[in-house]
Amino acid sequence: MNNKNILIKQILYLVLPVISVLLLIVLWFFASSVNRVLVPTPGDVIDRFVKTFTNPINNQYIWGHIWASLRRVLIALFFSCSIGIPFGILIGWNKTAEATVGSLFELIRPIPPIAWLPLIVMLLGIGEIPKILIVFIGTFTPIVLNTATSIKLVDPLYLDVGKMFNANSMKLLFNIALPASMPAIFAGFRTATSGGLMVVMAAEMIGAQEGLGFIIQRGMDAFDVPLIMVGMVVIGLVGVFLAVVTNYLEKLVCHG
Amino acid sequence: MSENKIQVKNLTHAFGDLLVLDDISFNIKNEEFVCVVGPTGCGKTTFLNLLTRLIIPTSGEILIDGIPADPKIHNISFAFQEPSAFPWLTVEENIAYGMKIKKESKDVIKKRTDEVLNLLGLQKFRKQYPHQLSVSSEQRIVIGRSFAMHPDLLLMDEPYGQMDIKMRFYLEDEVIRLWKNFKSTVIFITHNIEEAIYLADKVIILTNKPAKIKEELEINIPRPRDIASKEFIEYRKYVTDQIKWW
Ligand SMILES: Nc1ncnc2c1ncn2[C@@H]1O[C@H](COP(=O)(O)OP(=O)(O)OP(=O)(O)O)[C@@H](O)[C@H]1O
Ligand SMILES: [Mg+2]
Repeated sequence: MNNKNILIKQILYLVLPVISVLLLIVLWFFASSVNRVLVPTPGDVIDRFVKTFTNPINNQYIWGHIWASLRRVLIALFFSCSIGIPFGILIGWNKTAEATVGSLFELIRPIPPIAWLPLIVMLLGIGEIPKILIVFIGTFTPIVLNTATSIKLVDPLYLDVGKMFNANSMKLLFNIALPASMPAIFAGFRTATSGGLMVVMAAEMIGAQEGLGFIIQRGMDAFDVPLIMVGMVVIGLVGVFLAVVTNYLEKLVCHG
Repeated sequence: MSENKIQVKNLTHAFGDLLVLDDISFNIKNEEFVCVVGPTGCGKTTFLNLLTRLIIPTSGEILIDGIPADPKIHNISFAFQEPSAFPWLTVEENIAYGMKIKKESKDVIKKRTDEVLNLLGLQKFRKQYPHQLSVSSEQRIVIGRSFAMHPDLLLMDEPYGQMDIKMRFYLEDEVIRLWKNFKSTVIFITHNIEEAIYLADKVIILTNKPAKIKEELEINIPRPRDIASKEFIEYRKYVTDQIKWW
């Protein structure tokens, strides 16, 4: 293939994404022109978003709702890391633990977190703790799973290096298996974060007074479609924000 | 202390029905550089794993300074065939790692780390991570980590297998420099005959699997050696002929 063709291809790959986005916007405007109530224009959504800074929804500006959702996810993540990482290490490292508590975990694991929602609401009501608990269930699984798998599959070569220096098994675990597993644990954390956002949305759509899920629910009740879309876009942005923070943390912790 | 640093007596190993090492006996003198050559898959790596006790032999004995080899007592270092520097540690942390496990004092660790970094010309990379270096530099970290232990016995398993000729020559001189500096006893595995004759005081030639010792050959060429010299070529031809016998 000659250089000219390669250049054309490169330009094409640069231009195609732009075209796709433009196409989507055109389609959006077209849909709005058909039914503006059900499909507001991008401008309507932006106007609605600006209004959330001045007109409170259920006594809270948008920041309050963002913080409500974010807080729930962060508290849940905090607990699922501080319990899930040690638990994952245990069942990844210790065959007996894997056979006992590990198999219990395997049994419960396939239940999707949202399936727990009704049971938890019936048992604990619709307060703050049941919401955090349900997000915890959603974030705990990927963290345990990634930690356990990567501890179990750590390259035996690295362990052999430790053994040849006569490292004891605690050193093998904390100096070698754990740092070798950090990238996989972060991958689990990333999955947990997006899973957590998904679960918090569902939890907030059932009897919450604040949060982005609540906003979406409120938009639906009031037939305020721009508000629904504001909630959707903002939760997406929260996800991007968390991903950026996670990447930064990962760079700080692992260098490999 | 006996003159022999290492005594290997009737070492035999089988993985299930697969006999890999068959009744191997030899001695290594203190501060001797021994190369082991043998065909691919004949059991060279297995042999080293036996020496470090990563595998327990089916029968036979390995004595270091007259005592059965034991990583708790002896200082045995192993440079593995595959790159084994820890990606999560910097170059200097990698080199210091074994000494930290052995609880050497801070001063000793610092002194030997600096020494190794200097000998390997890695000072400017000391704060970098292995993946930021070339593959050959990564293998040098591993070799440095092994020498820094001041091991009773240093085992090297085809450490230069992946490298091109030019890099090999350079690193072979480097390993000789480290060996002289640290006065280590070295067993170096290779299937490159030229490399073995260039490096070794003594070459041990293994047969095909199950591996036996075909011959122990002293290399009496003064160092630094010239691979183009007449005597070097004679040794190389001799060893090559020995191997053709199989
Ligand atoms: N853990 C094991 N279980 C069963 N068989 C094994 C094991 N390790 C090695 N072997 C077998 O023992 C033989 C010798 O293997 P080894 O790795 O020691 O050879 P090698 O001489 O180091 O080969 P290479 O030149 O490829 O490095 C091979 O046939 C291999 O398949
Ligand atoms: Mg091998």
